[in-house]
Amino acid sequence: MTSTVTVNPTAAKAAISGLTLRYLVLAGLIVLASVGFSLANENFYSLVNIGILLRSIAVLFLVSMGMTFVMLTGGIDLSVGSNVAFAGGVGVITLTTTGSAPLGFLTAILAGMAIGTINGIFIGRLKLSAFMVTLATFALARGLALVIYDATSINVSDPTFLWLGGTSWGNIPVVIPFVFCVFVALSVLLYRTPFGRNVYAAGANFNTAFVLGRRPERSVVWIYALSGALAGLSAIVTVGRVSSGQPWSGLYLEFDAITAVILGGTSLFGGRGRLLGTILGVLLYGIIINGLVLTGTNPYLQSLIKGMILLGVVLLDSWTQRGKAA
Amino acid sequence: MNNRIDMKGIGKSFFATRALDNVDFSSVAGEVHALVGLNGAGKSTLMKVLGGVIQRDQGVIELNGQPIEIAAPVDATKHGVAMIHQEYSLINELTVADNIFLGRELFIGGTPFLNKREMARRVRAQLDRFGLDLDPASPVRDLNSGEKQIVEIIRALMSDSWLIVMDEPTSALSEEDKERLFGFIRRMKAEGVAIIYISHHMPEIFGIAEQVTVMRDGKIVLSERTSNTTEAAVIKTMTGTELDDFVKPVKTISDDVLLDVRGLTHAHAYQDVSFDLRRGEILVLTGLRGCGAPELAKAIFGLTSGYEGTISYRGTTLRPGRGPAAAVRDGMGMVTENRDKNGIMAALSVRDNIALPFLEKATRGGLINAAKVEAVVAKAIRETSTKTSSPDQEIRFLSGGNKQKICFSRWLDEDLELLILLEPTRGIDVHAKADIYRIIEELATRGVGVLILSYEIDEVIMLADRVITLYQGRSVASYSHPDFDKDKMLADMAGANLPAAAHA
Repeated sequence: MTSTVTVNPTAAKAAISGLTLRYLVLAGLIVLASVGFSLANENFYSLVNIGILLRSIAVLFLVSMGMTFVMLTGGIDLSVGSNVAFAGGVGVITLTTTGSAPLGFLTAILAGMAIGTINGIFIGRLKLSAFMVTLATFALARGLALVIYDATSINVSDPTFLWLGGTSWGNIPVVIPFVFCVFVALSVLLYRTPFGRNVYAAGANFNTAFVLGRRPERSVVWIYALSGALAGLSAIVTVGRVSSGQPWSGLYLEFDAITAVILGGTSLFGGRGRLLGTILGVLLYGIIINGLVLTGTNPYLQSLIKGMILLGVVLLDSWTQRGKAA
Repeated sequence: MNNRIDMKGIGKSFFATRALDNVDFSSVAGEVHALVGLNGAGKSTLMKVLGGVIQRDQGVIELNGQPIEIAAPVDATKHGVAMIHQEYSLINELTVADNIFLGRELFIGGTPFLNKREMARRVRAQLDRFGLDLDPASPVRDLNSGEKQIVEIIRALMSDSWLIVMDEPTSALSEEDKERLFGFIRRMKAEGVAIIYISHHMPEIFGIAEQVTVMRDGKIVLSERTSNTTEAAVIKTMTGTELDDFVKPVKTISDDVLLDVRGLTHAHAYQDVSFDLRRGEILVLTGLRGCGAPELAKAIFGLTSGYEGTISYRGTTLRPGRGPAAAVRDGMGMVTENRDKNGIMAALSVRDNIALPFLEKATRGGLINAAKVEAVVAKAIRETSTKTSSPDQEIRFLSGGNKQKICFSRWLDEDLELLILLEPTRGIDVHAKADIYRIIEELATRGVGVLILSYEIDEVIMLADRVITLYQGRSVASYSHPDFDKDKMLADMAGANLPAAAHA
């Protein structure tokens, strides 16, 4: 024991180390879960399985990053799962009618963005509850997807359209470096631009942001549009992965994304959180779900476990935030 | 019955910090005991020990000479100790009488039906006893801050409390409500109630308290009868230094009109108000609460529309309700009256709280230049002498005074031309106040036009180059430094000197 122990760490240091601590705990849990599942099933640790795992959570990475922006404003976006199906439908129909894959990509992203913009206008401009508005578009977008697809799936064989979601370089799916690029781009947007600072401002105190001339009502519209655009991007990846467009794709995706984001330390109350936490949250959540599949856990139990995880992280979030409010 | 509570040798430590160090403190029925000290001196900790919110490490608490245990707030209530908090714990949707009897309602003999009449009668009897004019049947929603506070105190008294602890009770009150509260406190004393009164305001303390105790760094540094000490002595022990009497020098102000308000009228808020503000001038609007000045200020900042008359800024007429983003772009800044509601962003760092309005200016090619932001933030913290461990610290850990300085520091940029301040020193300690006055003077010297709304007459006189008094939305009179007549201003604010036009 040396005598140079510094007592009384300042509150700022405590807050930073709190966040770092959370990330360390998450990283530790990721290692622990990996080791646990690899003991239970020797296939878990194979490169092939890691590739499969990462590909299966690629969409969750994309959607969760959008959800992080939304939840930083204290909002929620329940429509992302349905939006993936809708945007995918628009993209696939465009592809089959025009034969142009780039046009299909573009319309898929624009369709996702359109749903997001509708959310944003109702929430940011008309000040309606994010939960209610996105619950409505959750049903609306799924309905549109079912209409577009006429409730049946459409097979896609265009290699360009399938490239992003379906191709692998060796054991590494192409989509993984792509997700990493999106992560870097969104990090720059969130930490290095005025828009990113406005995201935090709108979530920490909408009224203050307004009085300071930061136009939070406008930021909110763009944030939901961004979440929608990422759903559109996810739709392209989803179609590529299964070589078809399906009206029921993206089911429960909003649930997984919300769980992963809260697990990654973004506060439900807005203003606090980082993209790195979301990445770790998605990894941990993905490993647990993938591990449950590999160990042959009853699928009904999987849903039960997902529910328990969400309850647990929400409770944890409320505890840590309550501590901070004091 | 002549109750008294004695706290003897109270000690409390938080980790390495000694929050209370061998503190003796007494409160006697029929007396007001004022407790003063700067933020962090230990006043709140001492009162939390008395209220059972936190546990002491050492010492005893005696009620009429008998040791008592106060392990939880419920014990404090049992022994007749009531804390009146700044945040009101009343339910807005219920009436005065309902709130007072909440949780111990009276029923009509054995039935589950409420005996509203009897409850109202008992509340009225209490109100009459203290000479208060309030309707027990009016919803709490319709009461102002002062009246809500009175309802809280009445509720405590009707639950057999004999010791009332009031923490900064006048910080949100108008002059009128303050006077009524003081009258009420005097009546309570006569009825044998003991009061512990936490405040920064010397005139209040010397007006109503029998005993004054000063705390500094967790210790009692002075405890005297108010008749045996002076305001100057209390301030000196509180800070450890003597505050200089600040006398504002006479200065010449340019003729360059920055803001010109003509015939501004908004139903129910203000009527036919005209004034101008020159560059480098400090103009203070003052009156009682409800005088319309905050609404006027908000119209200038572009927050409200639907007014008649014109607001010209830098020679152009502003579009009503054009929004704060346009105001900030044109070099206006505003410090709002409610820090926590729309002044700070509690979850964010000091850096983010300061830098937000500057971001576009520190941006190149879409990316924020972190070094530039850092320089602006460091300069802002230095110039306002804000106490923070680092710009990374979350703002909610700062004291009220430091939060308020951050609300100022955001606007200290060279593009600022007009600064609008609503109650700039509300609820902050004397040192932070002095810093804020200094910042305001420096800004004015630099040529910034400063428009202030203040309800504190001493502050008005100390800061202003020019004062406009308002009464119920109408401007009454205008005064220029140094020809300030405090008594006449107070009369203006109270509606005694209405201009002839207002009577028509």
